[in-house]
Amino acid sequence: MLRFVLRRLLTTIPLVLVVVSLTWGLIRLAPGNFYSGERAIPAAIVENIRAKYGLDRPWYVQYGRTIGNIARGDFGISLKYLGQPVNEILRNSLPVSAILGALAYLLALVVGVTSGMIAATRQNSRVDYSSMAAAMVGISVPNFVMGPVLVMIFSLTLYWLPPARWEGFSVNLIMPVLTLSALYMAYIARLTRSGMLEVMRSNYIRTARAKGLSERQVLLRHALRGGLLPVVSFSGPALAFLITGTVVVERVFALPGLGNYFINANLNRDEPLIIGIVAFTSIAILLFNLAVDILYGFIDPRVRL
Amino acid sequence: MASTVAPVTADAEPIKGTSLWQDAWRRLFRNRLAVAGLVVVSVVIVASILGPPIIKATTGYTYDYIPRDVELIKAFPPFTAPDGSFSWTHPMGTDNAGRDVLARVLLGGRISLMVGLISTLVSLIIGITYGATAGYFGGSIDEAMMRIVDVLYALPYMMIVIVLLAMFGGQSPFSQLILLFVSLGAVSWLTMARIVRGQVLSLKQQEFILAARATGVSPFRIVARHLVPNTLGPVIVYATLTIPSVMLLEAFLSFLGVGVQAPLASWGSLSADGVANIAVFPWQILCPGVTMALTLFSLNFLGDGLRDALDPQMRKG
Repeated sequence: MLRFVLRRLLTTIPLVLVVVSLTWGLIRLAPGNFYSGERAIPAAIVENIRAKYGLDRPWYVQYGRTIGNIARGDFGISLKYLGQPVNEILRNSLPVSAILGALAYLLALVVGVTSGMIAATRQNSRVDYSSMAAAMVGISVPNFVMGPVLVMIFSLTLYWLPPARWEGFSVNLIMPVLTLSALYMAYIARLTRSGMLEVMRSNYIRTARAKGLSERQVLLRHALRGGLLPVVSFSGPALAFLITGTVVVERVFALPGLGNYFINANLNRDEPLIIGIVAFTSIAILLFNLAVDILYGFIDPRVRL
Repeated sequence: MASTVAPVTADAEPIKGTSLWQDAWRRLFRNRLAVAGLVVVSVVIVASILGPPIIKATTGYTYDYIPRDVELIKAFPPFTAPDGSFSWTHPMGTDNAGRDVLARVLLGGRISLMVGLISTLVSLIIGITYGATAGYFGGSIDEAMMRIVDVLYALPYMMIVIVLLAMFGGQSPFSQLILLFVSLGAVSWLTMARIVRGQVLSLKQQEFILAARATGVSPFRIVARHLVPNTLGPVIVYATLTIPSVMLLEAFLSFLGVGVQAPLASWGSLSADGVANIAVFPWQILCPGVTMALTLFSLNFLGDGLRDALDPQMRKG
């Protein structure tokens, strides 16, 4: 177990290195520069800028410095948000994205697992069909359509909720969380349903029924545990999806999260910020996946780590 | 032996065999939701191909036509003439620049469907080649190749796609499209590779592959002519489900402004324009958004139906 964790932690390092190098290479190979704009800059100023940011050094020196900085946990200073260290931007924007993502995933888990379980126990009933149809809507309606439609209904027509702005834990969070959550809710409901249906046919459920357990106990203590396995293994990829999802939701609802900064950084060619966010999220995703694998071993004793 | 069997079949009705595909078609057409999905998808495809020229012929509007008449450069709601009366000229209204929204939604459909189809094709080619190679050679090659897939699953590849598009994009609308096809295809082949590999692993144990090998068929030919064609069922099913997910990714990128570039438009970029005007001209986001949601909905139902039709065992419950 400990060896498994250590080995996985060690493989994380080359992976992050690959992702960061790829990103760095893409930024450097692309035509143009962060200081090139509509107006031509005098050669002397260009020279100064290049000297200030070390762009006049050979590429391997620059690459080495980028990697060295990341290894020390210092992502440098943003090129666009002048004077702001990338670490500070990450520190300020991460909570926004993390709260958004965590709440959305929690909501998706609660609603998805409950409705998937109900649908599975009443297979082919009206409840089953309608919840699976709702899940299909959740999968098919893009979040950048769902968000604005919610805004149209609850902000612009009913005047119940504010359409945008970050104010920490407040009613402002309701619509963004709902928008972000819809897709995962739908996936989790479908996964729970099919997982439960498969488990319900297995022998150990028959045994549990045969020894006289109440239906409620059979469902909650025996079937749910097996039926949830696909949901647990989905939570790894789900985090990667959640990150792309928050990008859209943060843009629609104007929230100062990581995703919003990431898009702006790309449009501004803000290299330290791009690399900082990419490196940070890759590390987060890889660690999260490791946690999911460990959790999987706890739920399913057949899996040995 | 043959002589005793022959007379029996001679005067009997010739037995009509049904192939796997005929069976599958029949099952598909019995599934009402899948048929509805097929109809909607067909309508959207035909409309986005034939629609723009028809609109041009009848009203003179194209997706990028901005009227010169200052009076007309104003957004009008669907089915409304400039004077506020009912009119068929703009069934989806006009946008904030006075362009016909229907013409733009149909052009967006062309681009979105094209990105969906071509990127899926790219992902098919990569996924089938990769999966079949891993499955055919097996052993440590297979393990290494599949480990790479596992690792790629866990990486934030959409972020890298965003970086790629933002850095190299913006040269011309056309090169941006090519970039989109390739990069979306390059990130959506993982599951396809897994499916093909699993199929190949089980298929290669069967006698016909042994026979092919015994008669001296080259490994490449065995994979290309004997193994891959036999994996087509699950591949078609998964490809149908890949199209909507790729379309969603394209829309996501275009919505963020790194995908399809103006003057071209896709449902994603139209929605992005619409969000900017949401408080004043709600139809500008509703029309492309609802069209896209409906299309994805239908494609998903069609994919589910195909799965049930082609692989009845996979059907759960």
